[in-house]
Amino acid sequence: MAGYLLRRTVQILLTLFVFLTIVFFLVSAQPGDITRLYSMDPSLPPETRANLQELFGVNEPLWKQYLVHLKNTLTGNFGVSFSLYPRTVGDVILERLPRTLVLFATATVISFYLGFALGKIIAWRRGGWVEYTSTLGGVSLYTVFTPWFGLMMIWLFAFKAGWLPIGKFLDPVVWRDAPTDSNTIFNLMLATVAGVTVVVFAVAVATKKKRLAAAPLLQAGAITVATAAVVGVWLASGVGHLAFDLVKHMILPVATLTLISFAGTMLLTRNSMLEVIREDHVMVARAKGLPEKVVRDKHVARNALLPVVTSFVFSLAFAIDGGVIIESVFSWPGMGQTLVSATVSEDLPLAVGAFVFVGIFVLVAHLAADVLYAYLDPRVRYR
Amino acid sequence: MDTNAKPTAAKRTIGVATPDPVLAVEDLTMYYATRAGDVRAVDGVSFAVQRGESVGLVGESGCGKSSIAMALLKLLPENARLIRGKILLNGADLAPLSDDEMREHRWNHIAMVFQAAMNALNPVYRVGDQIIEALDAHIRSTPEISMERVRELFDLVSLDPGFIPRYPHEYSGGMKQRAGIAMALACEPDLLIADEPTTALDVIVQDRILKELRKVQEALYMSLIYISHDMAVIAEVSHTVGVMYAGRIVEWGETVDVFHRPIHPYTQTLMSAFPSVTGPKHELGMLSGEPPNLLTPPPGCRFHPRCPYATDVCRSEEPPIVRSGSHWAACWHPLDGAAA
Repeated sequence: MAGYLLRRTVQILLTLFVFLTIVFFLVSAQPGDITRLYSMDPSLPPETRANLQELFGVNEPLWKQYLVHLKNTLTGNFGVSFSLYPRTVGDVILERLPRTLVLFATATVISFYLGFALGKIIAWRRGGWVEYTSTLGGVSLYTVFTPWFGLMMIWLFAFKAGWLPIGKFLDPVVWRDAPTDSNTIFNLMLATVAGVTVVVFAVAVATKKKRLAAAPLLQAGAITVATAAVVGVWLASGVGHLAFDLVKHMILPVATLTLISFAGTMLLTRNSMLEVIREDHVMVARAKGLPEKVVRDKHVARNALLPVVTSFVFSLAFAIDGGVIIESVFSWPGMGQTLVSATVSEDLPLAVGAFVFVGIFVLVAHLAADVLYAYLDPRVRYR
Repeated sequence: MDTNAKPTAAKRTIGVATPDPVLAVEDLTMYYATRAGDVRAVDGVSFAVQRGESVGLVGESGCGKSSIAMALLKLLPENARLIRGKILLNGADLAPLSDDEMREHRWNHIAMVFQAAMNALNPVYRVGDQIIEALDAHIRSTPEISMERVRELFDLVSLDPGFIPRYPHEYSGGMKQRAGIAMALACEPDLLIADEPTTALDVIVQDRILKELRKVQEALYMSLIYISHDMAVIAEVSHTVGVMYAGRIVEWGETVDVFHRPIHPYTQTLMSAFPSVTGPKHELGMLSGEPPNLLTPPPGCRFHPRCPYATDVCRSEEPPIVRSGSHWAACWHPLDGAAA
């Protein structure tokens, strides 16, 4: 496994190199260069123009520029954003990336759970009203025009009902006297969620290994205790209302993303289940006298999970740039919006930096998919 | 269940005395519904299996052997229907039981060893855990006792206990089949059904597994139904043999008797279709024609279109039961002077 990981990492670095090259030459292939934005100004003296070109290095031969680009990217120097001057690209991305990740990771995990659970049911009871309703509803939502659906959600739940805020990341009124900025709170929230996940996962693994009869009870207890502890700490911290404000702003975009995407997982799960049901070991599981629910969940669904997990990890990767539409509709200041505004305002360093980050994330997700697959399917042992 | 249907073969009882039948099947009839109509896969089959007895079911593919096996466990595909008949397990009828009620009997009382070519083991779980799962479904015990039982079972089928925590793909074909047998024996069933368990294995492995199965069956005094198309295999493991043709049992009796002095022409043809390695070379008996289409089985004796002795009565009337020594057959023109 270690050898495999090493080899795969080398492959990923090579792919990243190819990716960086393509991004660079695509950007270079555009007519004009970065300095045009400024040098087109007729009031600029010729020597300033030359200075600018010198400064940006656009007079250098292409291969030299390419090498500088590679060196800078690999040393983590993405340059300075034009539109958000003087902030560095790295700084902007580090601020925006977690927001997008949280939004899409949450939505993807929920839609994966929902889709998997529904897919299991409709594969087991084919032809019932559950199948027709969820398939019709799921496919309708899956194929709906996304911006329209996002606006409808806002109109219904934020404007008409007034339950939730209309877009944006936070409510400035709530944050007027805040002791810290939103990024700190947001990162703290992220850390809490990660901590709870680790605790719950550890308890699940530990109880499973010991084959304890009370495992489900212990797991439920661990989740309850961890959640209660987290809520308690946040309430006591004095910034709980700020965290709540961020959560409130997340609900609508997450719900919209979940609704438009769960049908994919559902139908994939259904097809995968129907394939596994035909396998011999499922009949053996029935012959063993196991209850239908055990046959479905433990034997069929567990095997049907494999292709679903692959698609899940890949959809996580596409989450970053796939959010362009949703982030624009909900004015969510994440990577998608950053990409759009960087492109519109010709902020090339930021656009390139955002692309590079998306590329790295996709590659890492592929590696994660491989590792997860080996963990889920004992037949896959990478050498 | 259709109680008004004419019991075509219900009255056929077996020739062997029945002191302690573990299983008694009476007039078992099962159809598969297809777009073209009902396929009469099992049609009025009756037989009994005594405690400690090993019964072989032999016949060409598609004659209904495996359908009987699945019907006994009531593990029927969606399009299969149990039309009528009784499945008496230790005197209690399984036929009317619901799926939930049936679960208690599966594996606990009737267990099954599946074809070696089948992936009977779930690829994502350890073999030991899959056996423990079967145990846990029927017997209350602690993890330690279950583990001890798995070790016993591995010992019983001569598997290395080191393989208990391994995954199925780490097993060879023969080992998988041993694990399948160990799993089937987990709850000490009254009746073990083995459906072509050695068909996909090479002859040496096949021979070892057969010996193992026989040994275990005798040691546990368990009843065994061994299903195969291979007469030689049946001869090796079974006290009693039932020959099936087109969804019916055409001959039934002690294995030695049936194979040495077959009274049904089909059994005789089946026998001569097998070459002997040591004996003199001779033309293999060829059965002309195909097994009948079970959508519209031929009237009278179902074997008549392929039978060299067929006469008019065979084509119109159900054949009577004739006996000879320990065995019986359903035939109008029995060989070897058997009489009704």
